[in-house]
Amino acid sequence: MDKNELIIGYFENSLSPNQLMEFENLLKTDADFAAEVAFQKELQTSLKKEERRELKSMFSDLGEKEVRPKIKVFQLRPWLAAASIALLVGLGSWFLFFNSPDFNTDELYAANFTPYDNVVHPIERGNELEDLKTQMFSAYEVQDYDMWFALLAQLTTEQKDDYFDFYSAIIYMQLDNHEKAIPLLQGYINNNGELDDRATWYLALSHLKQGETKESKEALRMLIEMESFKKKTAQKLLKDLN
Amino acid sequence: MYPRPQKVNTGHLKILTVYCVYLITLIVLMTDEQLIAQLKQRDRNALKTVYLDYKTEFLKFMSRYNVEVNVLEDIFQDALIVLYENAQTGKLDALKSTLKTYLFGTGKFMLFKHFRDGKKEVPTEETYLFDRYEQTVIEDVYEDEGLNEYQAQLVANFKKLGGKCREILELFYLQGMKLDEITQTQGYENKDVAKSQKSRCLKSLKQLIAKNDG
Repeated sequence: MDKNELIIGYFENSLSPNQLMEFENLLKTDADFAAEVAFQKELQTSLKKEERRELKSMFSDLGEKEVRPKIKVFQLRPWLAAASIALLVGLGSWFLFFNSPDFNTDELYAANFTPYDNVVHPIERGNELEDLKTQMFSAYEVQDYDMWFALLAQLTTEQKDDYFDFYSAIIYMQLDNHEKAIPLLQGYINNNGELDDRATWYLALSHLKQGETKESKEALRMLIEMESFKKKTAQKLLKDLN
Repeated sequence: MYPRPQKVNTGHLKILTVYCVYLITLIVLMTDEQLIAQLKQRDRNALKTVYLDYKTEFLKFMSRYNVEVNVLEDIFQDALIVLYENAQTGKLDALKSTLKTYLFGTGKFMLFKHFRDGKKEVPTEETYLFDRYEQTVIEDVYEDEGLNEYQAQLVANFKKLGGKCREILELFYLQGMKLDEITQTQGYENKDVAKSQKSRCLKSLKQLIAKNDG
């Protein structure tokens, strides 16, 4: 094997133990050979470092450019969207194959409750620590609910948009604290909050979890009349409850 | 009166839950696999996607360790570079976790190294298990101080080479492709042709350096 091939084999990591010994030996005894290996290693290191430098400057550019449109209604990651579809398929097949006339409020609740996505305050990556609201919705998205309430306490009354009540209610529902969720949702609906159809759906679920079937059905009927959100699911749930 | 809730067989719900979790996991892993394949092709847009998908969450996750944000941002960038380099060498081909777990594990490994270097207490937590090769890459990226003067000169002269030369040298030294693979994918007549092309390019590079140095 000639010297050039030895060097190639070294970089390809394909030298046999004997060839590796020959390589090491030449490194010690042949100054030209050692210089050639050193040059190629230096080239490899330099190319790597240069690429890393380029990538880092690409990241920094990203950090600066990350301003997104202010109002964005639905910001679902593709896999989240796919996951929702999977969930629908799952639920669909469940209703198809295992539908049973009996019902259990806990199970119906578990089958229907999923926390509501943050749709009112998209997180603008890059300036994530920009303001309290952004911090709050970051906390909401990672389910750091202590943080959510701690930050909520810092907001002044004028800063409190009414949708905070809605999201607080969703958090209480996840914490299984429906006594607190229900009045918040009711207040939000009575004030004609923008997400009132969503709130009505969650109100129905909260009552359901409490075993308050009558109230739950009332909310479901209200929701069906609104003809906007989860109409079919609400009809199905109402049917199950009857 | 309203009918009292009655107990139904909970088995159905369990089957459903398991089924949904399975589907969701499958979808997440599928997306990861696609991203890794793109990273392997040196697709920088895929790296941008990973950056945008996880930056906020990463900073949030790491904020529990009480480190300044700029340190965490550096670590996040370094962890992405490790991901990119390890994807290219095929280290992520048989990834058993999600890409996110790998990325966050790398970040944690670097952060703990940061603690050790600063003689600070290192949290005793379970961490992702990297093999020796992966640890070397992580440490190499973490300790990378940038190009020194000679290396910068090397790179500047490298950029003056013709396209074909830059290509073969990058494939060999940066991407770690073997000469056999380069011969096949780049359409060289045979391995010897590729070999002498590579030698000629190295020679040109040395000449450029000598000329600009003198």
